[in-house]
Amino acid sequence: MSATIQNTGRTRRWPIVGEPPYEGTRIPSRVPTVLDVPPVLRETGDVLQVNFGPNHPSTHGVLRLIVDLDGELVVGLSAVIGYLHTGFEKNMEQKTWWKAITYPERIDYVGYQNNELVFVLAIEKMLQLEVPEKATWMRMLLCELNRIHSHLVYLGTSALELGAISMFWYCFRERETILDLFELVTGQRMHTRYFQAGGLAEDIPTGFYPEARKFVEWMPHALDDYLTLLDRNQIWLERTKGVGLLSADDAIALGQSGPVLRASGVDWDLRRDQTYLAYDQVDFKVPVYTGCDVYDRYRVRMDEMAESVKIVRQCIDRLERMEGQPWITDDRKVVLPPREELHTSMESLIHHFKIVTEGYRVPAGEVYVAIESPRGECGCYVVSDGGPKPWRVHFRAPSLAALQATATCAHNTLIADLIAVVGSLDAVMGDTDR
Amino acid sequence: MVTRLRDHGLQSERLLWPTKGPSRFEEELGVEELEQALGMTTLEKAVRWAQTKSMWPDTFGLACCAIEMMSIVGARYDLARFGMEAFRSSPRQADLLIVSGRVSHKMAAPLRQIYDQMLEPKWVIAMGACASSGGMFNNYAILQGVDRIVPVDIYVPFCPPRPEALMEGIIRLHEAHLAGVPPAYERKQVAT
Amino acid sequence: MTDLAKIPGYAETKEAHGETTVVVARDSIRAACAYARDELGYAFLADIVATDYLDWSGKGVSGYIGTATGRDLNLPMTQGLQALPEAKPARFSLSYHLLALRQGAPRLRLQCWLDDGDTVDSVVPVWPAADWFEREQYDLMGIRFDGHPNLARLLMEDDWEGHPLRKDYPIGGEPVRFSAAE
Repeated sequence: MSATIQNTGRTRRWPIVGEPPYEGTRIPSRVPTVLDVPPVLRETGDVLQVNFGPNHPSTHGVLRLIVDLDGELVVGLSAVIGYLHTGFEKNMEQKTWWKAITYPERIDYVGYQNNELVFVLAIEKMLQLEVPEKATWMRMLLCELNRIHSHLVYLGTSALELGAISMFWYCFRERETILDLFELVTGQRMHTRYFQAGGLAEDIPTGFYPEARKFVEWMPHALDDYLTLLDRNQIWLERTKGVGLLSADDAIALGQSGPVLRASGVDWDLRRDQTYLAYDQVDFKVPVYTGCDVYDRYRVRMDEMAESVKIVRQCIDRLERMEGQPWITDDRKVVLPPREELHTSMESLIHHFKIVTEGYRVPAGEVYVAIESPRGECGCYVVSDGGPKPWRVHFRAPSLAALQATATCAHNTLIADLIAVVGSLDAVMGDTDR
Repeated sequence: MVTRLRDHGLQSERLLWPTKGPSRFEEELGVEELEQALGMTTLEKAVRWAQTKSMWPDTFGLACCAIEMMSIVGARYDLARFGMEAFRSSPRQADLLIVSGRVSHKMAAPLRQIYDQMLEPKWVIAMGACASSGGMFNNYAILQGVDRIVPVDIYVPFCPPRPEALMEGIIRLHEAHLAGVPPAYERKQVAT
Repeated sequence: MTDLAKIPGYAETKEAHGETTVVVARDSIRAACAYARDELGYAFLADIVATDYLDWSGKGVSGYIGTATGRDLNLPMTQGLQALPEAKPARFSLSYHLLALRQGAPRLRLQCWLDDGDTVDSVVPVWPAADWFEREQYDLMGIRFDGHPNLARLLMEDDWEGHPLRKDYPIGGEPVRFSAAE
């Protein structure tokens, strides 16, 4: 069955802005993720098949693209993934709920706290735990810092691949400051494991707020630096404008979300439209652009960084007034008691022992929780049998969906543009392969 | 035991004052001090020094450790002061393979192919817990330690290692090489 | 809500944790997905997940049950016989998570049940995004999708034998003393 089932026309109801850059759909119809060489060209032309092997100069990780080239024009494309398949889902079935929280971070290793958040939210949804306000706001702060971190890595590596090599050092300078903040709060630069089912693992240390404010004051200047370097740079504009077009209809059909969807004119952001944590209590804008190309995806991410700085500032203001409040829920069947109590209270000792050795049990059921990670909709589907270990955990990877759009975006691109397109889709291979 | 030049049979020729006796030159200076003072060395040591100061890594970033490896190229943990900021994409031009990240069985074949394409002398740093031993992923998909397929010189633990930790690993590799420790493929007698 | 009952192949609706799950018959999944996309407006396919329920009712759940429901402090140490998870209709459940891009972000889960060896129609003609989602479930769970344009292994090597995420597939890796992993 090769033809797509046609829409009846009543279904195009999504919040769209602007006109599509092309008519109809450009999804290669036989297999959506493969761009086939036209048979005529294959017989008459001189098509060269090149392997962008799993180990290649660009910094996306282990993505393998098999590209057919007619001169410099890309006429055929297919992606091979799975070089980083880690078996997260099966590993998490072997660990108790508490220990399994360590795993999701390594999935999307650039936006690590978002994966942790989505898994912890899923556990809390099934346990129906009430998370204290301080934990919610701190989670939001850390996730927004992580969004800035992820977009900085995207910007640095994308610009590096297109030849704007200095951007790498500029972006990593701010990234180091963000990682310092993470280290101040959680003790680890990456893979912080700070979120716990019920709240945060530890209280927020003193000295965090002044440091965070310093970062928030500095970051807009850094963003100006990046804009100065790139925004009116003729080479950057020529290499990114009009490249990698993906209309809104195609983007939704291909399951795109996040900056790729917003650069295609669809006004959709889970932080605003399906509010989680405390996003309805902060003031931020959702950048939407209509160009559907690599340049607009870059603009969406730049604007998102500025908006994230605003959110972080509001979170700091709010958190400073919450000194002394609890940072984790007080349901002792799920949360460890404070260490001082272990010396005096028998019940605390027993609860501590049971929670650490056997683990708390989550009632039977299935949930699907989705949040807006820097790459798009990151979802976690958890099935519990009522026991101490998850029965099934599955992560909806935004990068997997993003890579499916490569073939559609790569129509009429030169091989150099292909690098720009793959960079703009911002796929992290750990997230793709899990 | 410190050897003096006179132990090596050096005797100054005295034409003007034959009865003076051995000079301080022969009695006090040792071979190592003379080498340092005059900048003399053996060819092997000179070559090893040059190799240490410009050991170019290969772009073999796999997972989370790759992000920390990119950090040491950044301005704070500057790898350029060791002459190593030139990450070569072609294994033919690279000396050092920093396996940064978890290696799945599907990736093991390309990893071995990259290692084979590198020219001697070559070193391997297993960065992170996953490359050293499989890390937290003891399952069907992940190679339990990259030393099952390539000989490893230095293991850098942690998940992911701080940039300073990776730098410590790199510096220890430099020190080992300067001291004359052969690369891992010679020690483990692995066909390259 | 009554719209849901008009989904082709509708069997039942389950509501839990604020989520709506509609169970449909396995044969009409493609029609159900097209109906959900066209009539109900669920234009965005978030994910396709298969779950293996082998040995689901076999293991009991005992002791401290977590917070919301099921906590029974009056029957401690019952060794698993106090609460058994309810039996499932078949071995595999295949869930399609859908999202409508409108106010309130309504989500829907279409679920169908199948046994080992059963096949399901591919929904690639409805959402092209299903291409790799279905390939992944075929690779890891062994569920075949009829009409999929390119049903090949995605994450594992092409010549891998077995489907790793099934419950009867071992965790693999190297044997470690005193490890809790089976």
